[in-house]
Amino acid sequence: MIPAETYLLLSAAVFCIGLFGILTRRNALIFLMSVELMLNAANINFVAFSLQHGNLTGQVFALFGMALAAAEVAIGIGIILVLYRNFTDVDVTKATTMRW
Amino acid sequence: MAQLPSWMGLAPALALGLASLVLLLSDSIDPDTTNTPALAGISVVGSLVALASAVGFIIGGTGVPTSEGGQGTPVLFGGQLVVDQMALFFMVIVASVTALVVLASYDYVSEHSYQAEFFALVMLSATGMTLLSAANSLATAFVALELVSLPSYALVAFLKKNRGGVEAGLKYFLIGAVSSAVLAYGISLVYAATGVLRFDGIATAISSGTIQTIVDGSVQAQSGEPAVPMSILGVGILMVIGGVAFKTAAVPFHFWAPEAYEGAPAPISGFLSSASKAAGFVLAFRVFAVAFPIGDLLATGGAINWVVAFQILAIATMFIGNFAAATQEKVKRMLAYSSVGHAGYVLIGLAAVSASGEGLSFSISAGMSHLLVYGFMNTGAFLFIALAEYWGVGRRFEDYNGLGKEAPVACAAMTVFLFSLAGLPIGGGFFSKFYLFQATLNVGAWSLAAALIINSALSLFYYSRVVKAMWIEEPTGERSIDSYPMGLYTAVVGAAIVTFLLVPGFNQVSEIAFQAAQLL
Repeated sequence: MIPAETYLLLSAAVFCIGLFGILTRRNALIFLMSVELMLNAANINFVAFSLQHGNLTGQVFALFGMALAAAEVAIGIGIILVLYRNFTDVDVTKATTMRW
Repeated sequence: MAQLPSWMGLAPALALGLASLVLLLSDSIDPDTTNTPALAGISVVGSLVALASAVGFIIGGTGVPTSEGGQGTPVLFGGQLVVDQMALFFMVIVASVTALVVLASYDYVSEHSYQAEFFALVMLSATGMTLLSAANSLATAFVALELVSLPSYALVAFLKKNRGGVEAGLKYFLIGAVSSAVLAYGISLVYAATGVLRFDGIATAISSGTIQTIVDGSVQAQSGEPAVPMSILGVGILMVIGGVAFKTAAVPFHFWAPEAYEGAPAPISGFLSSASKAAGFVLAFRVFAVAFPIGDLLATGGAINWVVAFQILAIATMFIGNFAAATQEKVKRMLAYSSVGHAGYVLIGLAAVSASGEGLSFSISAGMSHLLVYGFMNTGAFLFIALAEYWGVGRRFEDYNGLGKEAPVACAAMTVFLFSLAGLPIGGGFFSKFYLFQATLNVGAWSLAAALIINSALSLFYYSRVVKAMWIEEPTGERSIDSYPMGLYTAVVGAAIVTFLLVPGFNQVSEIAFQAAQLL
């Protein structure tokens, strides 16, 4: 069996790629994709350790995680759509009517 | 009295959920309905039923063990949900805030389309908050948290032709999505380290130092008794703190709050800053008090000392929130930053704890009481802003000049809210801050006590700017207030009365909160 540490490294790498994408990209759609990567990094952990621990808790959580990620994207696409209609762009740095 | 079936313990959540489904059903029958009284009526009835049942359960002794003369604690779905006194306490907060917000929204949305969706989303989010307060496992907590968040994103961006609102929704969504991904990853690490997601199972894994599993509903050690990898657990706990910090608008995930509260429709700002914050805190209280007991955590290798983390977060949140609020030029944005500051005060509930876990019950109960008072005074303040937006009064402090002459009742209510938020004994805010102060003294956390005092004094300065503008300054421009919306007025005045009544009634509230925190 592949040792559990390998899965942890893989999921940490996927998580960091997602985080990197969020911090560097300005396109809202790529931002969404990066969030998906981060959520799926969690799913990798859940499924891998579900096998490791020999119980199904992790696999069930992974199913919930996928469903929630889909719901989140649905809301996100809706908000990006109204963003495009108002600002004629999906660049997240263009929306600056308020400043802190 | 006959014993009710245990699923009845979820009656508050069921009432809110049912109301949202009825709203969605009515919307699918008549999509273009503008029958605001009916829609708002369904929502108000749903939230009042939820409020009444939660209060009834608290008085009836649900969540108190039968050995202490209570009705026992309903544990549902294999320990995934637990309706104890703390869950009921937070259901009361959520249901009252929801009732105020939907009542006020009656006037606010009456000229907009998609009203049924608006009310349905509010009720769905409130359902998620009540479920979150009863969640007893990281899995249900995550699902409930998303049920709170997803409708809120849509609600913030509800005025979809308003550029500010859309921008606020976008920022709230982006930061929310990232922080829920961080939370999910943190939960996956906790699962990797402990083998369970139920709070009691995680606590057993930490205290025994072996990975656990759940067989037939009871927690037991995995065969071979593998040890809990403390470093993985520590990183997981740190990420859970991050997820909680987002929901409660605490540093370092507070950036969304001023934007979202300023851009959102004002009733929604009140809803998010009061109810959603309370829901975030109930998760924090339960996770850190039950699943990650600090005494065991430090005794078995010290994966992470979350008390220190919360002390740093509490102090940073108090200072950043209050200092930023003091420099604002717009009233709504000032309230948004003050809401960040108040998250810092409530974080004392998890920070004023000794290294062995002493003082946790008292500090959590102080935090709970503050959240209850805050639920009324802060919602009320945001609803007053909604009233001002309804009248077309501007957003800056100067625009409020002389408002007290034209709308004395509403301005008197606003004065009660603001002074109570600052911690003057005109509302319950004085006592709840005093309890938080006492919690810091109990464990000798001088830095927290000092931060609380300094920030309360500072907050009096910027809150009284609004009071001064309303009552003392002369109006600068022409303004005509020709209508006095009934729903908004009822909500604002009702919130003011409850805020005031919490001065004599605070003892009862804090007793219930203390008992709830002890029973955790």
